[in-house]
Amino acid sequence: MTQNSDIALAVQGLRYEINGVPILKGIDLTVHKGEFVGLIGPNGAGKTTLLKCINGICRAQGRIEVKGEDIQSLSDKQVAREIALMHQNTEISYPFLSIDIVLMGRYPHLKRMQGEGKEDLRIARESMAYTDTTVFENKAITQISGGERQRVLFAKVLAQQADILLLDEPTASLDITHQEQIFKYSRELQRTGKTVIAAVHDLKIASRYCSRLVLMKEGAVISDGSPWEVFTPENIHRAYGVKALVFQNALTGLMDFYISDREQSGNKEKVHIIGGGGSASGVIRYLFEKGYRLSAGVFSHGDSDLMCAQVFGADYIAAEPFCDISDSAVEANIQKIREADITILCSMPFGSQNLRNLEAAEYAQKLVIIEDDPPETRDFTGGKALELYGALRERAVVITSARLHEFI
Amino acid sequence: MLNKTNAVRDRSKNMRVLFILSAALILIIVAATAIGAVYVPFGDTVRIILKNYGILKAPSVDDSQESIIFFVRFPRVLVAVLVGAALAASGCVMQGMFRNPMADPGIIGVSGGASLGAVTAIALGLTSGSVYVMPVFATAGALAAAWLIFLLASKGGKIPVLTLILSGIAVSTFLGAVTSLILTRVNEYQLREYLFWSVGSLSARRWEHVNLAAVPVALCVIILISFSRDLNILLLGEEEAQSVGLNPFAARKRLLFFTSVTTAMAVCVSGNISFVGLIVPHIMRLIVGPDNRILMPASALAGAVFLVGCDLAARVVFMPVEIGVGIVTSLVGAPYFLYLLNKARKEGAAL
Repeated sequence: MTQNSDIALAVQGLRYEINGVPILKGIDLTVHKGEFVGLIGPNGAGKTTLLKCINGICRAQGRIEVKGEDIQSLSDKQVAREIALMHQNTEISYPFLSIDIVLMGRYPHLKRMQGEGKEDLRIARESMAYTDTTVFENKAITQISGGERQRVLFAKVLAQQADILLLDEPTASLDITHQEQIFKYSRELQRTGKTVIAAVHDLKIASRYCSRLVLMKEGAVISDGSPWEVFTPENIHRAYGVKALVFQNALTGLMDFYISDREQSGNKEKVHIIGGGGSASGVIRYLFEKGYRLSAGVFSHGDSDLMCAQVFGADYIAAEPFCDISDSAVEANIQKIREADITILCSMPFGSQNLRNLEAAEYAQKLVIIEDDPPETRDFTGGKALELYGALRERAVVITSARLHEFI
Repeated sequence: MLNKTNAVRDRSKNMRVLFILSAALILIIVAATAIGAVYVPFGDTVRIILKNYGILKAPSVDDSQESIIFFVRFPRVLVAVLVGAALAASGCVMQGMFRNPMADPGIIGVSGGASLGAVTAIALGLTSGSVYVMPVFATAGALAAAWLIFLLASKGGKIPVLTLILSGIAVSTFLGAVTSLILTRVNEYQLREYLFWSVGSLSARRWEHVNLAAVPVALCVIILISFSRDLNILLLGEEEAQSVGLNPFAARKRLLFFTSVTTAMAVCVSGNISFVGLIVPHIMRLIVGPDNRILMPASALAGAVFLVGCDLAARVVFMPVEIGVGIVTSLVGAPYFLYLLNKARKEGAAL
């Protein structure tokens, strides 16, 4: 028992069905104190039902233990002192004052005939201050906006002073200014030792805030672990049936997803892309979706085109930044260009470092030049590049990137 | 700090409403007892009442006045107080519990069940035995009907409101048919006895009726008021209720039971006086807001004031002819209700 003393919640063999249709098919889940667990999965996976079963609104078969005690042996109020659930639907049609709504969170701490005391009012006010809703204290809950209402309801959940918080889709129906608010609060609370279990739709938010993710599909857990462990392309495909690319967004440093509906490649042509400075990214993505086999280069490290090539699995050649491209890289590049059925020269800036990319383009079997800006504005070599570019232009198809689909 | 004063002001406003309603109730009790075919000054009326309770040492009062006041009018007024409070408190609970503004005690089949109980007692010829036989039968019938509807509507730990309302209608209709069937088999005297009971009226209600209803109604109304916090939480929905530790199924079961008893007692002494349970809670909600901790006592008091007032009007407006109190409740209540509804709609407030 001493070993298990940091277990906040243990669910064993939880089954639940509605009219003979199984919704949960034997869920096992152990949540430790201070974890922030994100329940993810497609609609109908059973996330909300699992939360409702833990909370007791749905009576499921199986065993649920809170801090080592079987939930069946606890009264409804005792459960409510340990577990607080915030619902998806925050619509309230009766004009209660916000403070009265928050005070309802004190219900499990009060006896039947006991009125709310000073202490309860203090806790309620403190919770409202925490969620920045003190100004709405004497406003009717029906007269404040959706985001404000959700914060008031979150204050109610806090006033319950439970150690385990269950959040059901706390971002649902909120605009971007409020979407992450509840998650920010939750993460702060997690750090003070509370345990949070949230059903989350938005995978990015889930990966950003949750310390652990539980991926569900059709009433069963199919993956459980850290965001990077759970969000593999295989798992996402299994759960959602889509092809997804998982990568670290270079701008935000956060986990990001790209959902693709890539055409089956079969035996499509090989395309080599010459670019740099971000000019190739859109082209790489487009050709990836179309199912071409891609190679690209030479990009310098740190270039967003290089990251793009990584994400979309293009066979790329990289070089050190701010240096002339090495001989070996040039050779490799030429090799790829020769192998490719089509080579695309993107609308990139020319400098002395990447001049050799332009030279390599001469080896293309079929050359397509994307020209979004006049080359003169992109030349930083004092005309040297323009000379080469002019020669290439003679024998190439020149298009704007908007017309790429017509040629490929 | 501004917030704090506002909150205090809000609560004191509510206390003021309760105080005004209590004062209004006392005033209208005295007025309704004093006014009638024989007018007795207010002071004398109060003196007679207090004297009969031994609070005031016997002053010189007219004997005939004393019997009119204390044995005819005062018990009738008290019955009106009890019935009005019971119906309004029950209606308030029903509307809150089912989150449906159209809910009133009638939907749980209490009236239909009570009628069937009463007609059974009459048809079996038991009513001559004791004045309490009919109320007991009526209460039993009411509770049985409510229980039946509850069983039909509840499924898997839930009571869907729509199912409850529909089974309520079905069961009530069925009970009505059985009642009518029994009535075709009884003699004319029994039929008149039933009609006298079933047409909602307060005429000729005596101390027996007061004694019968006083304790159960007072007790049930107090119990219902003690559930007002539960009722508030139920207003947020079943899931919210469970998440703060209130089992919505158990709570509704409790509330349904006490509402049934309360309504049954009211129906038992006055027959069916509808509309009080529907409009009084509505009117009070528009005045004091949705918080049942204030709404319930306010509704009970207002229901009492309303019914005593309506009964007074029923007695004196077309004197010496007395009209049914149900006619007055509808004539007075409906237009006022519509006025408030319209006003609330203009202000954009939700019901």
